[in-house]
Amino acid sequence: MDNALIIRDLEPIFADILDQSDLRLAPESSASNVEGWDSLAHINLIVAIEKRYRIKFALGELQDLKNLGEMVILIQRKTRS
Amino acid sequence: MNDYRWNDLATGMAAQFEVELSAEMMSGFATISGDVNPLHADEEFAKAAGFPSRVAFGLLTTSFYSRLVGVYLPGKRALLHGIDVEFRLPAYIGDRLSVSGEVVFLNEAYRRLELKARIRNQAGNVISKASIQAGLRES
Repeated sequence: MDNALIIRDLEPIFADILDQSDLRLAPESSASNVEGWDSLAHINLIVAIEKRYRIKFALGELQDLKNLGEMVILIQRKTRS
Repeated sequence: MNDYRWNDLATGMAAQFEVELSAEMMSGFATISGDVNPLHADEEFAKAAGFPSRVAFGLLTTSFYSRLVGVYLPGKRALLHGIDVEFRLPAYIGDRLSVSGEVVFLNEAYRRLELKARIRNQAGNVISKASIQAGLRES
């Protein structure tokens, strides 16, 4: 699945957790520019992503992510391995 | 009170306790919540509405999920993040409730656990089911 497809795949998950039905995501999307993406929502998002792709993140992998684009790259790497 | 650490937890771990719903619990919850709906407060009103007696507050029974997490699983280090609850049957004063939960998901990165939980009455019927999210604090 390429980056754009993963972002489209994530949109309904983010829309549900962030309670924004018309949410559109981009590689530049991050907690600083998406309404409602606070610390608790972030945990909910990570848990939802883990369940969706049947992967597990380590805290160290998540701490340096700057935006959704970097998250998608991490998802791709984990789903390949 | 249990005091599970992260490394103690595993999916499939379970906990259970029993509690009897009392009139004192009902009056205490009415005072705290300010919910004075007669279905919970007036025996005759409840009977006229088709129930055998006053109906217990749904959120009073839900509060036992708080005990499940804060006292039993994981216990002392818990921080409740959320509860998604669905009510299936009414509960009444004098009911003997069995509250149970099982760890169904663990998020290592943020030390968040998820429980699948149920409350059953003395007949074994489910009065509510819940998905519970809780964090585990270091200290």
